Amino acid sequence: MTASLIADLAVAGLITGGIYALVAIGLNLQYGLLRIMNIAHGEFLMLGAYLTYALRTATGASPLWFVPVSALVMFALGLLVHRLIFRRLARTSPTVEVLEERSLLIGFGLMFVLQNVALLIWGADLRGYDYLAQPLEYRGVIVTANRVVVFAVVVVLSGALVLALRLTMVGKAVRAMLQSPLGARLVGIDTQRLHPLCFALGLALAGVAGALLSMIYEIAPSIGESYTVTALIVITLGGLGHIVGSLAGALILGMVESFGMYLTSPSLKSLLSYGVFVLVMLIRPRGLLSR
Amino acid sequence: MTARRALVATAAPAVLAVLGLPLYASDFVVALALSCLMYAALAVSWSVFSGATRYLSLATSAFFGLGAYATALALGTLPWPLVVLGGALTAAVVAWLIGLITLRLRGAYFAVLTFGLGELVRHTVTFVEKSLSGTVGRVLADAPEVATVYWTVAAVAAAALLTFRLVERSDLGVALRAVGDDEQRAATLGVDPRRVKTIAFCLSAAFAGAVGAAMAPRWTYIDPSSVFNPFILFQTVLIAMVGGPGKLRGPVIGAVVFSLLAEALRLNLPYLYMIALGVLLILSVLFLPDGLAGVGWLARWFEPPRPAATVVHPDASRR
Repeated sequence: MTASLIADLAVAGLITGGIYALVAIGLNLQYGLLRIMNIAHGEFLMLGAYLTYALRTATGASPLWFVPVSALVMFALGLLVHRLIFRRLARTSPTVEVLEERSLLIGFGLMFVLQNVALLIWGADLRGYDYLAQPLEYRGVIVTANRVVVFAVVVVLSGALVLALRLTMVGKAVRAMLQSPLGARLVGIDTQRLHPLCFALGLALAGVAGALLSMIYEIAPSIGESYTVTALIVITLGGLGHIVGSLAGALILGMVESFGMYLTSPSLKSLLSYGVFVLVMLIRPRGLLSR
Repeated sequence: MTARRALVATAAPAVLAVLGLPLYASDFVVALALSCLMYAALAVSWSVFSGATRYLSLATSAFFGLGAYATALALGTLPWPLVVLGGALTAAVVAWLIGLITLRLRGAYFAVLTFGLGELVRHTVTFVEKSLSGTVGRVLADAPEVATVYWTVAAVAAAALLTFRLVERSDLGVALRAVGDDEQRAATLGVDPRRVKTIAFCLSAAFAGAVGAAMAPRWTYIDPSSVFNPFILFQTVLIAMVGGPGKLRGPVIGAVVFSLLAEALRLNLPYLYMIALGVLLILSVLFLPDGLAGVGWLARWFEPPRPAATVVHPDASRR
């Protein structure tokens, strides 16, 4: 392997890892905080991608404008889904385990609904648009411009998120809830008001990831599933409720896939990520970074 | 016991009529009944493990697919009953391995990991087929006739029903329900959770494998994406959950309802059918946590009143 090849693979791994990070942090907010195992998380990403695609082809404007639009729409959808489904579910479930299992089943239901709604509207074909597809070169490493843009957005967003969690009052409240749900309530944090917001924020991140994804790849109604699985793997790698852990886990997985696929074969991609998943579950079921 | 006798008297001709379908009914009706039987067998056997222990197993497609592949490999060299048995055995062995890894986890982690391992099985089969035999699919030559397949699936379904009842009334069933109620307490009271979970998990996988092995000849050509189809898993879990996995009648009601619904909607309006499935699943989890079997009037209709002495106390597992 030459130096430039290694750099190529590392850059590719960083970019996929960055997108994984957004998806995984979103899922981690939902599962780590609310114990909602939202298996349809990837479907919301897919919706965000289609929304961006539809707006871009209708208006012709730069898809970057539609990243916040997608985030807002998914945020609103998240509030709605939480209000209609998960609030009731959390109240009627006797234990956390029951809540996890039932939310998993509900997630499957949502997955059916969202995927087939997308199929009804857009059909099963791959769809995409051209955006900044010209290559950029820097010291022999060649990347298309859209990937650089996507990576920049990911870095800015995840940095802002981590900072917001550290510095703002709401962020501190969220971290307190992650550490100890009961303790958070005891010190006066209004969990009933924060829960819907956190759930919706998770979906908004999925919406952003979807919008970014549509700039690089072609999209289809079935793309969501693999991102859900990836997000689950990343959460397991990074540890439940660990936002920084998710970030690290996502980058690791991106690298593993990038280098692994080059060294073996592209058809082994899912075998590789499932392999990593099973391995982590065997060795550290509570996450690599957990204490 | 007159109510029970009356039930038997009405049920016996009905069972005979269903069993005789391949002799007089049209292909369409036979296919419909076959799909009912297949999902009844899958959902009932799924409930043997997951209904009692409330461990949500998501590896059913993997076991089904393994059974189908066992048939593809063994058909022609082994007699038909042994082929089906081989499918069951393959699935049970793989279930034992998967159980070794997953059965120490609980809740969503167990569910997700069984799904992940199921997908791993599928991708492994795909990869092995691609690199060893150079093809993705297999053609099933000299497959048995539709009637044979039908009666085999019926036999597997009957065996699954019988197994569910036997397990439910045995010490194993009590232990499994105890694990489902409170695993630590069950362990304190002398149940070996690991052992009973492993037995039930393999048992339920064996039936899924047998169904897959028996159904394989229906397709004449099989490939990983058709026999390891996650849809088989989703529909099985859906049927069991909507029907109510704690009771035998739950999955049976569910299988009949969904097979008819599927036939009515799936061909004409495939997307709407799936959307309806999703909405039903959400509604049933939200409003019918015990499934259709928990609905009062349905429960009474299916279970004629019994003398008080034979009524099993709901807290039997907590003796």
